[in-house]
Order: sequence, then structure tokens, then C-alpha cells
Amino acid sequence: MESFFARYRNLVVLLAVLLAQIIGLAVQVRRIGDGRGTLDPGDGPGVRLIRLWANALVSPAERSIHGSKLGVGELWQNYLDLRHVREQNQDMQKTIDRLRLEQASMLEDARQGQRLQGLIGFQEKYIYKTLAAQAYGSSGSEQSRVFYIDKGKNEGLDRDMAVITPDGIVGKVRDVFEHSAQILAINDPTSGAGVILETTRIRGILRGNVAGQPEIVGILADNRIQPGEKVLTAGGDQIFPRGLPVGLVDKVIRDPERDGFIIIVVKPAAHLERLDEVLVVTSTEPRFSPEDQHEIATSETLKGPEAAAIRDEQVREQQAREQQKASEIMAEHLPGLIDPNLPPDQQPLHDSSNPNPVTNPPKALHPDRFTPGTADGATGTDSATPQDQTAKATPAAKTPSSGPSRNGQTTTPRRNP
Amino acid sequence: MAVLSATSRRDLEIRRYPSLVYGLVPLAALVLQAWLPRVLGRFAWFDLPLVVTVYFALGRRSPIQGTFMGASMGLFEDALSHHAIGVNGIAKTVAGFLAASVGVRIDVENFTVRLLLIFLLSILASVIYVFVTRFLLGMELEWNWFTELFKAIGNSVIALLTFPLLDRLQIRD
Repeated sequence: MESFFARYRNLVVLLAVLLAQIIGLAVQVRRIGDGRGTLDPGDGPGVRLIRLWANALVSPAERSIHGSKLGVGELWQNYLDLRHVREQNQDMQKTIDRLRLEQASMLEDARQGQRLQGLIGFQEKYIYKTLAAQAYGSSGSEQSRVFYIDKGKNEGLDRDMAVITPDGIVGKVRDVFEHSAQILAINDPTSGAGVILETTRIRGILRGNVAGQPEIVGILADNRIQPGEKVLTAGGDQIFPRGLPVGLVDKVIRDPERDGFIIIVVKPAAHLERLDEVLVVTSTEPRFSPEDQHEIATSETLKGPEAAAIRDEQVREQQAREQQKASEIMAEHLPGLIDPNLPPDQQPLHDSSNPNPVTNPPKALHPDRFTPGTADGATGTDSATPQDQTAKATPAAKTPSSGPSRNGQTTTPRRNP
Repeated sequence: MAVLSATSRRDLEIRRYPSLVYGLVPLAALVLQAWLPRVLGRFAWFDLPLVVTVYFALGRRSPIQGTFMGASMGLFEDALSHHAIGVNGIAKTVAGFLAASVGVRIDVENFTVRLLLIFLLSILASVIYVFVTRFLLGMELEWNWFTELFKAIGNSVIALLTFPLLDRLQIRD
């Protein structure tokens, strides 16, 4: 027996190591309903310990390298930035002024939106608090699209927190260590996020494909979906707040596994391959945070009157547009109200000061005694009200009738005996 | 006349390195494997832990050392991902064992042999990875063989550049 182990020592060691790893895998993976295996989302204590060791071993060196790279890059960037800092400051000040103005004018809409949401019992989650973090490492494997950030449990991070950039969503926190966290990117095949197409309002689930591109799966074929359409978060996954940009529809392909279904390949809004700084959404609330409210109040104080003036002007413009549109519709349906002798902007229809616009009736083809303006026709056209003139011009007016006019005067067509 | 037995001949050809090299080179491989894909993006077609495993297995010519080296490198790689720990471990364990076993039998000083070995072992590690994930664990895995082929070529190129540098670190009598 001893000679057997001595003779096949290498092979025995190999088999022992392989067996130990296979047992370890069996502990981590369990079978699900259809016979497929799945990994437990929460690591067991032993597995977590190994991940912790690996992270503790690799992270410090990785962060140092990343920090050095950033340090050199920043040194150069600072030099470049300083050359244009004054112009940039001026531009940013203008941008801040404009944004404050927009924020102040949007305030009332936002409040109304919140009131309506309260009325219908729907509470949309707003981003309450974010934490900026530096992305510094990855898994190093194509099959595992995760990366690491330099903030962890000590900074208040927790599992399943959304990770975003100003451009769009990036992923979610998968695992948290003391001073670092593992982020599962949206282009990983095991990720999942509820999304909605902006125009067509079609909902689906976003996940990654083998090429590292996010794609929306489980959608019935629909001709309305076109490349270039915006994709937003749907907010139903309890991770990403609703309405955050995800990307644009890149192409639509048939699902090879399911007839009648399509796969929408998405071009992500965030640069997933070159992430440096990300924001972790550490808290979401159904109302604006105190910070946001303070910011809005500042904007309202600084730019409130200006925003109100702009709003009034917009209201006036809208009213004018509506009046113009109504006039056009009226002119289309009642061409007789257009005076061909007047330019378009002086048409009586556009005169809002006169509720009874003066119109000249069209000339009769065969004038008779009832025709206005003839010697025997209606007299006193100068003193007659416009309604009278119109009434006389219309065929109905030719019928002898009498009655009160709109201004209370009784008009009776004159007849020659 | 002294005749060298097979064992003593192998002992003479075993490469030895300072202890620091055994610690730092694998660590550097793990760190760079985790960091470089962030810089290179989708063009990170290499597996530095595998290259280092094969290098030390070929140099040490001990299947047991190659086995443990491969297992530890693979397990650390798995631990940095979000997948089950052990899949890469099994693949690299086999690769390390085979590299050391081949190193005992053939002349691995030849550069072409080294490159061919690293190419073949890269492909083998990929095959084992797919086999374990899909058939042993029954998990879904999206796979692109072209990427694995590129990775094997990338490993060969990196071996071409790094093996001579690592050779300089060995202790010479």
C-alpha cells in the first residue's frame, strides 16, 4: 500500500486536489427546478472567507497601481486644466445660472407631480444620497464582468445598491468588504435590471451577452422598436430608481431560442469598459431629500422672480399660439370671415379687442334690391351692426324675418313695395 | 565513471529561484490580471496566472508543486470573480500538473516547445473550464471559442516576452 502511494504520489495528490475542489463546487452550486445548476447568491462562510483573502491580497497592490496611474495622469491633467480654468469657470457659472433658472421653473411641476403621485398611491423613488467611489480593479475574466471600487462597508455600502454614473447606470453592488466592494456590471450575463423603452413603452429585462454588450430579452417581436430609441430603467427591480438612462437601442435581432421573440442589443450610456469614478446610490426615498429641497429653495430664492417672468411669458406665448390656431381653424371653416383686401396680420379675426369683428360680405353675382349697397337695398349700412350686415349678406337674411339682434336692436329688412 | 540516474539528472536541471520570486511573481500576475482588463477593455486576451503556473511548473519539474501552484492561482482567480470558486482552480490544477509532467520528460529549454506548450495548455484550460461549468455543474455559460483562441495566442506572446525575463531571476550555481 505504501509503495502504491509512493509510486503514484503525483497522481494521488492531483486527484486529491481535484476532488477537494469538486466537493467545494458541489457545496456552492445547487440544482434548480429544470435540472440546471445555479450559484447561491449569498456566499457561504467558507467561500466568503476565500473571497475576503483574495481581495485582501490583491486589492492593496491593485489600488496602488491604479493610484499611481491616476497620480501621473492627474499631474498632467492638472497642468492642462489650469490653462483653461478661467474660461471653464465662466462657462460653469453660466451653466449654474441656467440650471438654477430651470430648477426654479420646474419646482412647481415637481410638486404637482408629487401631489398626483400621492393621489394615485404611486411613490416613485428618488435618489436620496449617493457616494462617489473610484473603480480600480476587475475579476480579470471575460466570464465575470465585475469590478471593484474603493468604498465598502465602512463607508455605508451594502449589497444590491445601484451604481451609476452621470451618463447612465453601471451595475449593482454584489459583495461588500471592509474598504472595497464588488460591483456586478449590467453587461454580465448573470445581471438583471428592469428597463423600459422610452417611446414604445415596452418593458424588458436587461442582461449581458457573451460579447459584453447589454441586451434586453423576453420581448415579443415589434416593428416599432427602432435603433436609436432610448432605454431607461423601469424601476420595478427595487434596485435602480425609475427613469435613469441605460443606453440606446443598437440593433434588434431574433431570439434564436424562442420563436416570435426578439433580443434588443443596447449600446450602454455609461462607458462600462473605461470606468473611473462611479456613484453608489446609498439611499432612495419617495420624496425629495432635505438637500434637494434646500437646493431647490436656493434656486427659487435666487431665480424665482426671473423664472416666474419666463413662465408668464411662456403662458402668454402659448395663449397667443392657441388664439392663432383657433383663428386659422375658423378661417378654414368660415372663409367668408376673411377680408381679401386686408393683409393677414390685420384680419379682423386676429383682433381680439373687438368681439364682433367687422367683415365685408362678398359681392353678389346678380345684385338685386336686397343686395346691400344698392340704392334700393338696405340703407344705413354705415350705422348697421356687423351682424346686420352679415345677416343681410347671407341667403337666410333674404327671408323676411325680424327679431332682436345680438346687441338688442331689432332689425327688419326693408322692402320696397 | 559517474553515471547520472534519471532522478539526479532531473535534480540537476531543476530551476531554483529566490523565495521572494515565488511570492511576488504569482501575486504580480494576479494583480495585473485583475487590473489590466480595466485598461485594455475587451482586448485583454491573456491569462497571466496560467502563464506563471506553466512557467514555474516547467522550471521546477515537480508535478506536485505544479498542481498546488495551479490550484492556488486558479482559486484566487475564482475568488476575485463572482462565480463559483473552484472552476478555474480545477482547470489550472490540471494545467500545472501536465506542464510539470511534460517538463520531466522533454527538453523545455527549447523556446518553441515552451510556446507550443503554453498554447496547448491554454486551450486545454478553456476546455476544462467549459466542461466543469456546463457538464459538471450544469450551469449556463455563454462562450466564444475565438476569444479563447485569441487568449491562447496572447498567452504565447506574453510567454515569449516574460519567460526570458523570469529566467534571469533563477539562482545559478
